[in-house]
Amino acid sequence: MAANETTVKLDGVSKSFGEFMAVSDLSLDVRAGRVFGLLGPNGAGKTTTIRMIVNITAPDSGSVLLFGRHIDASLQDRIGYLPEERGLYKKMRVADQLRFFAEIKNMRGKQVESKIDEWLARVKLPEWKNKRSMELSKGMQQKIQFITAVIHNPDLLILDEPFSGLDPVNVELLKEIVLDLKRAGKTIIFSTHQMEVAEKICDDICLLNRSRKVFEGSLREIKRSFGRNSVAVRCEGGNGVLDDPTLVSKLVRHADEAQALLATGADAQTLLKRLIDSGAVISKFEMVEPSLNDIFITKVTEPA
Amino acid sequence: MKKFLTVVKREYIQRVRAKMFIVSTVLLPVVMSLFVLVPAIIVSIETPPMRVAIVDQSGRMYSEIRQALAGDQQEPETQNANASTLRSTRPRRSFARFNVEEVNATNQPLEQIRASLDQRMRARELDGYVILPPDFLSEGKAEFVNRNPGDLFSVQALQSAINRAAREQRLIDAKVDTKTREDLFKPIELQSVKVGAVASQQRNSNAGFAVVFGVGFVMYLAILMYGQIVLGAIIEEKETRIAEILFSSVKPFTLMMGKLVGVSLVALTQLAIWGTAFGVFAIYGVGLLASPEIGASIPSIPFLHFIYFGLFFLLGYFIYATVYALVGSMVTTAQEGGQLAMPIILILVVSFYLFWPVSRSPDSPFSFWVSMIPFSAPIAILVRIVTQTPPFWQIALSLLIGFSTVLAIMWLAARIYRVGMLMYGKRASIPEAIRWARQA
Repeated sequence: MAANETTVKLDGVSKSFGEFMAVSDLSLDVRAGRVFGLLGPNGAGKTTTIRMIVNITAPDSGSVLLFGRHIDASLQDRIGYLPEERGLYKKMRVADQLRFFAEIKNMRGKQVESKIDEWLARVKLPEWKNKRSMELSKGMQQKIQFITAVIHNPDLLILDEPFSGLDPVNVELLKEIVLDLKRAGKTIIFSTHQMEVAEKICDDICLLNRSRKVFEGSLREIKRSFGRNSVAVRCEGGNGVLDDPTLVSKLVRHADEAQALLATGADAQTLLKRLIDSGAVISKFEMVEPSLNDIFITKVTEPA
Repeated sequence: MKKFLTVVKREYIQRVRAKMFIVSTVLLPVVMSLFVLVPAIIVSIETPPMRVAIVDQSGRMYSEIRQALAGDQQEPETQNANASTLRSTRPRRSFARFNVEEVNATNQPLEQIRASLDQRMRARELDGYVILPPDFLSEGKAEFVNRNPGDLFSVQALQSAINRAAREQRLIDAKVDTKTREDLFKPIELQSVKVGAVASQQRNSNAGFAVVFGVGFVMYLAILMYGQIVLGAIIEEKETRIAEILFSSVKPFTLMMGKLVGVSLVALTQLAIWGTAFGVFAIYGVGLLASPEIGASIPSIPFLHFIYFGLFFLLGYFIYATVYALVGSMVTTAQEGGQLAMPIILILVVSFYLFWPVSRSPDSPFSFWVSMIPFSAPIAILVRIVTQTPPFWQIALSLLIGFSTVLAIMWLAARIYRVGMLMYGKRASIPEAIRWARQA
């Protein structure tokens, strides 16, 4: 798929539930073959946006195009969706369960069986094939839920908080699978409020806050547009300088170093000079890109 | 359609394979037969007969009373046998048995007799005594002294026996001979015959009534057993939080219909197993004893009626099952659903009682309307079919209204379900449910 092809296109989409505005006038493009991060705090409208893409609910106004067509039931089979609210049939065996989810996406025949084995091997659970899902641990269940979203080989995969509650080993495992799928040309929409994860796997992001889009674009461009206005400092003494609000607008102290976001109008040279003048012993002073987390917090706490 | 079948298949196979299904299939008939057997055993427990002395001051009643009591307690075949066999005959459907003895009332004053009888009662030699005053036959008043006036069965049985004895004696006094007396009390036989039919065909509508009653009863049973299961099945995806995954693949209406049909096929499977078992039992067990009558009574119902029985059984079942599905769409747990589902049973019972008014006047406007209202239609129209078969268009219209209602309720349930899910699993109040159904 060409990189400039659009898999999902939202145009002026709004959705409200009674008085509550869930999504207002949202336009965005999800490009094919890329990982698109749909970010935002709780209640920003991420889940409602996804539900409109997968045809669970219809927008009040605006249009949703999928693969260049208006969304309908037949397009649903090309989507794999792992919602944040998810579960398994407790008493059903894992293989029966996966077969059901494949069939409900209109995948039939022998390929279903081979896909079940293939995916169970891939998430390292082949010996659990004939166990009831209530016998599985929570982490195992999450991996099975992940398979339910990908078993029918969808062109568009939508993952809503896919890693919440998983241990780091399994997060790594699923992250690798997501990146493999991307390499195989699939489009992935990744919704989360965990910025560290999004930062590692997203190509493009869209930040939502209070039902509106705050910004959208490729992760690299967004970081660049924020500039290098953050400094990682490791020093002894000089605390008074770092706490000066005319120089540093925000200070985050880690174990042995601090991250200082420069105040508007201040520059790194001035900060360095003031630190030296104050007699601080500096062992590290480095300009760093703002983390997505910083951008997120800055944007979300900005007055509207 | 394929997705619908996928949902049906999952629902059916998962449930039929479950241990619960197998256990309940085997156990329910056992429990049911216990329900029949245990009361029968309890009723057949014998209590010692009541020892009653009869003080007959009129001097003419004792033997008649003794005979009347014996008539109650003897097998019909032995009714004319000697009254002295009284003590040895087993009682038949009689809760009260008596050992009677005569007390000579001519020699002693009444007070003395009373005193001696009271003493015998205190000594537990006697359970009670009846005093018939000299003017008993004209005044019709007697006194029963006993230890336990709350034992209504015995009091009633005694009263009825004395009553008959008095009647008999009065007729004898009026010089009515035995033959005339027997003729006077000969019971009549009332044959009910369908208008336009020959008398020999009258068995049909009787058999028809029995079958309608049976269909109604099985329907009632199926709804009682499977209504809650339908409700649980609808809630299943909410409780397991699968609903949202499924709704990205299948329409809520398709899912709900699939689940309803899946559970219903399980119900039909179970009923078919019981039906076959019962049938085999009936043919091999009862059939050996009474095969000519059974063989004759079944084909006397027109074949078309069997089709109607089947269709309206399904309609009745589905109408109520969909209401359970509707309740399921509104609630988040089965417990909540159980409470909300209570009125359904009430409607079901009320519509069952329509059996009687409709069978009395199957052609009345009342009968017409209740056979068009989906909740009462299945029983009402079947009663009409076996009594005065209504015109075909009425049967067709009733079916059409019924099955349209099933679809409409399911459509409504699907909408409420979907909006409820979008509202993050909130339980719907009824006004909310109406609003959701409109806005979805």
